[in-house]
Amino acid sequence: MAETHIKLTVNHRDVEILAEPRLLLIHLLREKLGITGPHIGCDTSHCGACTVDMNGKSVKSCTVFAVQASGAQITTIEGLVGADGSLHPLQEAFREHHGLQCGFCTPGMITRAYRLLQENPNPSEGEIRQGISGNLCRCTGYLTIVRAIRAAAEQLSNAREAAE
Amino acid sequence: MTTETQSTEERTQKLEGLGTRRKRVEDVRFTQGKGNYIDDFKLSGMLFGAFVRSPYGHARVKSINKEGALALPGVRAVLTAEDLKPLKLHWMPTLAGDVQAVLADEKVLFQGQEVAFVVAEDRYVAADAVDLVEVEYEDLPALVDPNQSMAAAALVLRDDLQGKTSGAHGPRKHHNHIFTWEVGDAEGTARAISDAQVVATERIVYQRVHPCPLETCGCVASMDKVNGHLTVWGTFQAPHAVRTVASLISGIPEHKIRIVSPDIGGGFGNKVGVYPGYICSIVGSIVLGVPVKWVEDRMENLQATAFARDYHMSGEIAATQDGRVTALRVHVLADHGAFDACADPTKYPAGFFSICTGSYDIPVAHVTVEGVYTNKAPGGVAYRCSFRVTEASYFIERMIDVLAQAGHGPGGSTAP
Repeated sequence: MAETHIKLTVNHRDVEILAEPRLLLIHLLREKLGITGPHIGCDTSHCGACTVDMNGKSVKSCTVFAVQASGAQITTIEGLVGADGSLHPLQEAFREHHGLQCGFCTPGMITRAYRLLQENPNPSEGEIRQGISGNLCRCTGYLTIVRAIRAAAEQLSNAREAAE
Repeated sequence: MTTETQSTEERTQKLEGLGTRRKRVEDVRFTQGKGNYIDDFKLSGMLFGAFVRSPYGHARVKSINKEGALALPGVRAVLTAEDLKPLKLHWMPTLAGDVQAVLADEKVLFQGQEVAFVVAEDRYVAADAVDLVEVEYEDLPALVDPNQSMAAAALVLRDDLQGKTSGAHGPRKHHNHIFTWEVGDAEGTARAISDAQVVATERIVYQRVHPCPLETCGCVASMDKVNGHLTVWGTFQAPHAVRTVASLISGIPEHKIRIVSPDIGGGFGNKVGVYPGYICSIVGSIVLGVPVKWVEDRMENLQATAFARDYHMSGEIAATQDGRVTALRVHVLADHGAFDACADPTKYPAGFFSICTGSYDIPVAHVTVEGVYTNKAPGGVAYRCSFRVTEASYFIERMIDVLAQAGHGPGGSTAP
């Protein structure tokens, strides 16, 4: 099948690659670029394990074609880690509050929570639940995930105030 | 050794004992997307396998034409039962003492059953090739109601078991019967029920459920033909069982088989069983000499990998007028699907269902469980490790409710 030349930025790195028109973004990331943080859980955009950030929006990369991401800025869970290897406050909070068990939903869940906190830096519990409603977890029952996101929101907000 | 008196908090932290909040070590990897799940594995020269599955619940496989698939660039092999037969790999033992078709042998017995295994250079080509395998079926009526399984005129589902009057758990009384398991005092219970002041009855269906872990099942099989060692990485909750089955059917001794369970994206019992995908990947790697990966998609996971529950329970509970329980009797019809791939913790085929008297003081009880075949996916696994405890608990609590609603429960009548 004819391949299309696409350019995009993934986790602050410029990428140029040939992609079949039918290649899914999740397969571009996982199989061609070796970025295996985002997972495939359902292939049908129900579970959100494949969630990545594309041009400032959360997308389910199992239902986006790679060619649709041409020119896009993509951030995956790997891109949230600081250049010095430090964890993002959300990653720390998930660990601190036991917001995961098997860890399979976690990359999508944290990437979604990252965007949620950009959109709404101080979400209520209800807003968090609404905000992550496209991401399924089979282990935790969500309570600890909500707690982790809330804790991260507080920490980020304190850090912002301290900086001002 | 310090003589200073430490605060409780300090001592607890130091001892890291019970009640101390611990951070899990693996979470550092998981929160950064650095887990090591099966689909993250990439070995040199690795190929990708995918299944052709039956669209029918019950049908005879008349012919399989692989020419179109084999002609597609990037396709390396298409395996069917005919290819596995000379190696005696077309059937495999289940955990419950039954056998299961690795690839459909003359007949398909449930929708989504594995019919052929395509091995190709990537998953897209494998998916294309699956569409190019032509299978001709002769559709047969599907038997989906376990209540009809043992009717005199019921269709024979398992041709391979015809004439077999006993199975892994004793005598078989019908061609779709798997086992009858009985425990308790039949006579004493019958007497107590016929003498009882009050008897409440209830038919309780605990429907089929799927454990549905967020990660589907999959594996990577790698046969090293030089030294005869087989390594299989996969979503295995019970790696030793996989090794035993792999050894039994391949003839490779266990000490030359290494089974590795990497990070697993949830199991819930779904990843205890041995699936055709594991066996076909192993065969693919043996035939082609390179590693073969198989990872099912969500629809395949829901259609074909092990379910749980599916217990059809008929209960009777006897009591005195003032609510003292005098006897309990239950008959269970257990729908095991097309192959008995139940996961049991002991040699008994109904797990821990015998705990169905719960925490009540019940002087006499009798339990029978009959397993039957239907045209559904195999299973009967211990969803959330319950081994039929969930079914038993639901049963007894519901029976007590029914008795109470009849006005005879413990505590007496609670009429509105």
